[in-house]
Amino acid sequence: MAKTLVEDAPVDMLAVGKASDDAKPQDTQEGSFLDGRAAMGIGLAVILVAMWLLGYATGTDVQTLLSLTIWGVMLGGIIALGGIGLTLCYGVLKFPNFAHGALVTLGAYVTLAVIQLLPKSQPIWNFSFGWELVVGLLVAIPVTGIVSVLIDGALYRKLRHRNAALVLFAMASLGMAFFLRSVIYLLWGSDFHFFYVGRSNPALHLPLGIRVQADQLFVFGLALVLVILVYWLLARTKMGKAMRATADNPDLAQVRGIDTERVIAWTWCIGGGLAAAGGVMYALASQLRPDMGFTLLLPMFAGVIMGGIGNAFGAFVGCIVIGIAIQLTSAFMSPAYGPAVAFALMVLTLLVRPQGLFAEK
Amino acid sequence: MPLLKVDKITGGYGDSEILRQLSMSVGADEVVSIIGPNGAGKSTLMKTVFGLLHPREGSITFDGHDISHMAAHQIVKLGMCYVPQVANVFTTLTVEENLEMGAFAMEGGDMAECKQRVYDMFPKLKQRRRQLAGKMSGGERQMVAMGSALMLNPKLLLLDEPTAALSPKLVDEIFERVARINETGIAIMMVEQNAKQSLEMAHRGYVLANGENRQEGTGKELLEDPNVGRLYLGG
Repeated sequence: MAKTLVEDAPVDMLAVGKASDDAKPQDTQEGSFLDGRAAMGIGLAVILVAMWLLGYATGTDVQTLLSLTIWGVMLGGIIALGGIGLTLCYGVLKFPNFAHGALVTLGAYVTLAVIQLLPKSQPIWNFSFGWELVVGLLVAIPVTGIVSVLIDGALYRKLRHRNAALVLFAMASLGMAFFLRSVIYLLWGSDFHFFYVGRSNPALHLPLGIRVQADQLFVFGLALVLVILVYWLLARTKMGKAMRATADNPDLAQVRGIDTERVIAWTWCIGGGLAAAGGVMYALASQLRPDMGFTLLLPMFAGVIMGGIGNAFGAFVGCIVIGIAIQLTSAFMSPAYGPAVAFALMVLTLLVRPQGLFAEK
Repeated sequence: MPLLKVDKITGGYGDSEILRQLSMSVGADEVVSIIGPNGAGKSTLMKTVFGLLHPREGSITFDGHDISHMAAHQIVKLGMCYVPQVANVFTTLTVEENLEMGAFAMEGGDMAECKQRVYDMFPKLKQRRRQLAGKMSGGERQMVAMGSALMLNPKLLLLDEPTAALSPKLVDEIFERVARINETGIAIMMVEQNAKQSLEMAHRGYVLANGENRQEGTGKELLEDPNVGRLYLGG
């Protein structure tokens, strides 16, 4: 990024200070940070167990609680698909992308358009959907990825070249969120939609009396596969390593011959594609609404912050925890309070361990 | 025709004018040392040569190409690599990944062969290849940084104060490495605080002050020049 180069001198000075800090023996610090991480992990577990007990005390039976937990893991998988894109963009570009929720919505509506175009096929296995949804998903992922790259070229790249302050990036992304939502209103209207109207999705009876819909299993399976793919991409491929390098030190990435604009474009493409997959899964689990992505934004941020901003694996774990907490809420109070619980956990993380569970430092 | 030719450039950060009508050159196989007081524009010169800043006037030619307005990642492909003074390794990547990032611009070459060449030069890096670069000492990081810059086997290597903040023993070791890198046919342009030692090993040197080229000559001439000695070599 050209942005920080102009400020090279002050950045260099900061980095000198950092280098000498790093040279200090780290043993003493390491102990305390491990404690902090463990303490927060235990704290979260205690909160989830407390929610279980509270549910039990208010008359929810164990089977329902188990089912809620499993649904929570699945909801967490959906949130994680959005959250991973959010955390990757933050890592490379250093700003919170408030328009990420709109990309989630866009992915779901593109799939809806594909389903409406294609002839209806028989449902696959116990799922509520046929092959046309899979085709829709495979179309929505690249389309949303490309839309994200185009948005970057039209808006954020211009801000980068002007060395805009980070708050301007965040505000621009908020504007983009409203713009995209309006486009969706314009194209598809404000009504709710379903991928399939009036098709039933009977629950499967698993051992221990747990009831899960086949669709929910699909949702979680896909989320898991995509998360593993992202992990492999970051750890093994040249572009993934370049993304980590650019997130680590964009100036040095340029010095090493990495075309950072190309890395940024790939980051958007992957983030947008994952968001689209999350949107399709969310729509499958409930319904399509123009503001569906926006309502997911808060749980996504909560999960991302909990896992440590910029950390893809952390975002996955954080989002799963948030998903479970949101679902367990309905065991002892109105499910409408789910987002509030996500928000409370986010605030708690920021107070106790602002760098997140999986932070390096 | 020298490998690198800087012709009367003027420029700096934003609108500031740090370099004024500065000219210099580096021949193939040469070690050129740039010395001068703090704020003379040594680092700015390096960044301008490498395309991180662009000159407002004048031109920079490298290996027959006009690079005055090229981006750094394009200049790397022409065979010039740069080791910044600080923050010159990716701290959250392993040593091996750092080296791979050094060869990012390589198209179709053999990554394993490049890594082996660097490991031969710095055997210690091979032992530590799975370690995070951020957990290494200052001297080891300097080796990771130099190794990354050598992955593409460049024609010209730019070193910005490679011995800054290192112990005297490590300083000797780094200078020795630089000499050996040069023996493999790589030209070197370096900025150094250890002016005396760097001039001793350099073929030629330039003395910069206030963004202008005050004096040039062979390393020996500059070392023996009474003015240079009094002003910049501490007597």
